[in-house]
Amino acid sequence: MKAVARVSGICLALALSLGSLAASAQQTTLRIFTGGQQRPDVMRQIVDLYSQRNPGIRVEVEVGGATSDQQQQYLNTVLAAKDSALDVVLIDVIRPAQWAAQGWAEPLDSYLGAERDAVMNRYLPAYREANIVDGKVMALPYFADAQFLYYRTDLLAKHGVQPPRSWEDLIEGARKILAAEGNANLSGFQTAGAPIEGTVCTFLVPLWGAGGDLGQGGRVDVATPAARRALGLWSDMRSAGVTPPNLAEIVTDRIRLNFQAGNLVYAMQWGYAWNRFQGDADTQVKDKVGVVPLPGFRDGKPATCIGGWQLAVSAFSRHKAEAVKLVRFLSSPEISKMQAVLASHLPVFAEVYADADVLKANPWFSQALPVVQTARARPVSPRYPEVSDIVRSNTNAFLAGTKTVDQALSDMNARLPRAMR
Amino acid sequence: MRVGPLERGERWLGYAMLAPAAALLGLIVVYPVVRLILTSFRQVDQGSRAGEAPFVGFENYAYALADPRFWGATGNTLLYIVLTVPAALVVGLGLALLANLPFRVKWPVRLGLLLPWALPLVFAGLIFRWFFEYQQGIVNDVLLRLGFEKLQWLSSPGLAFAATSIAIVWKSSSFVALVLLAGLQAIPRELYEAASVDGASAWQRFRSVTLPALRPAIVVALIFRTITAIQTFDIPYAMTGGGPGESTETLAMYIHKTTIDFLDFGYGSALAVLMFLVSAAATSVYLRRISRAEDAR
Repeated sequence: MKAVARVSGICLALALSLGSLAASAQQTTLRIFTGGQQRPDVMRQIVDLYSQRNPGIRVEVEVGGATSDQQQQYLNTVLAAKDSALDVVLIDVIRPAQWAAQGWAEPLDSYLGAERDAVMNRYLPAYREANIVDGKVMALPYFADAQFLYYRTDLLAKHGVQPPRSWEDLIEGARKILAAEGNANLSGFQTAGAPIEGTVCTFLVPLWGAGGDLGQGGRVDVATPAARRALGLWSDMRSAGVTPPNLAEIVTDRIRLNFQAGNLVYAMQWGYAWNRFQGDADTQVKDKVGVVPLPGFRDGKPATCIGGWQLAVSAFSRHKAEAVKLVRFLSSPEISKMQAVLASHLPVFAEVYADADVLKANPWFSQALPVVQTARARPVSPRYPEVSDIVRSNTNAFLAGTKTVDQALSDMNARLPRAMR
Repeated sequence: MRVGPLERGERWLGYAMLAPAAALLGLIVVYPVVRLILTSFRQVDQGSRAGEAPFVGFENYAYALADPRFWGATGNTLLYIVLTVPAALVVGLGLALLANLPFRVKWPVRLGLLLPWALPLVFAGLIFRWFFEYQQGIVNDVLLRLGFEKLQWLSSPGLAFAATSIAIVWKSSSFVALVLLAGLQAIPRELYEAASVDGASAWQRFRSVTLPALRPAIVVALIFRTITAIQTFDIPYAMTGGGPGESTETLAMYIHKTTIDFLDFGYGSALAVLMFLVSAAATSVYLRRISRAEDAR
């Protein structure tokens, strides 16, 4: 009797363990890394949809990093250690060159096979180019982005100010509104000024507007009249009282928070903010927000910074084929539309901008497509973190008053050539 | 001296027992340091292809010595040391004297003294960042209520340095206070009683009884505080990220930026070796002064 009980016990244990082994053999868990500012809650909904359609695949979302540079610092350590913990990573549009040089991203050409050209041609050209490094596809676009000018429709209407078509108009309009409102908490205009990635655009947007550029390889010269005009714009705004004195402290999401609380007239912000202004529980500005392209100088053309996030498959992932399948799902027109409706993420497919549901949630997307198509890219370099640091820390120093225009530009000139070699 | 077989056996047993610890130490300390020094002579950065690490001699060091950002960071580190070490000592001494008063219930005092030290540095940095925030910070709120103007604590270079120093002193003075409190408690009561019988005032008692008896504890606290001050990283990193510009960037932060952010391991290693030399110089100055003082006694 005892022997029978023992044998049957062993058989039961064996059966159970084999059964669980079989079950776990069917279950693949993929881990996707995203930043805190890229709506991880929406990504969770999307990957849950994927899991429903693909039983046996479980997708975990890991959230990290409040800013683009902080995320990359964390990823630097994980990837330099060749850790296989992450399968898919959401990377900023500026990163594919660096990831290709380091060998961190798995080239997708072999997985796309014969469809490669067809797949890549469906995307907006800027993102097709950003993700192909040395002829290899390093990542697929998740959502597009660019910087826009958000403004308070109610305040502009109340004081008879038109949405500005030039920086000079913006300064005049903001001064008029601030003087009339007399609200100490109200600020005219804010852009990123802290030493974060977004501050690179704070320097580049007026630089491009003034006809200058950083230079890609070759001779780098920032001590040009265009660069002085670029930094001069921010000091003009400061002396006009349009930007707050602590601009050097301001990070991207703080601008959104200030605008959402009703304390800002104009904001230089990315596309994601619209959904927060309209949908957040604590928003004070619902239905009072207008979005137009960023202005240029009166005597020049407008310019804006391109953004957007891409999905790369880690070269150290243990489930590369499954990860590529997930990436192709996330980078499809269906999901692009879902993101646009749920998070006001700009689509990477031109046709999605005209979709009725998308336009209902984001009426300004009809104007957004030409902006995204003409938005300009930051320098493409495998040493981009160093390039970005030089530009953003000197811009930050200038905004804080630690360096004059000449010092900031000459310091940039001293360090950029080595970084952009 | 002839070593007998028994002693020889014991000596070998001694070596054998030390061997695992020595191996661990070698792995954790010696190997990384040697590797660091070797890397500092190579070019290992994001531009070079994976696997390539050409030998470049002293090029990284030459670049460091000509790098204004390196000198700025070193200057900031030295300034932090000069400001925060004495300040932490003074504040810590005051706290220790306060905590040494005869309280009926001792544990709340000890807890209050212990909490800042127990708090992780990054938490302290983030908390103080919120305190000093321009529009919503509590410090500016108090200033406004007292009739002053709001100050741009974290976006103006001098004030940012002051704000980070305040946070560092707050955090480190509790450690100094703990060390000094232990020293204070060891001073026998009779010395104070004898001094007051001789007609000494409170200040004279402090100068002639307390301070001399506290000397060893002060030395210990100073050494620890200085070594940590050389490595200042967490609080300025969490509070200002080195900004505005690079006015609160310390040497440890610059090394972190170069290695973790830029992935320029060659240059970062050179900077780390230079930082080690600076720390070694500073600590040897200390030790020599202390041993001289001890010999003088």
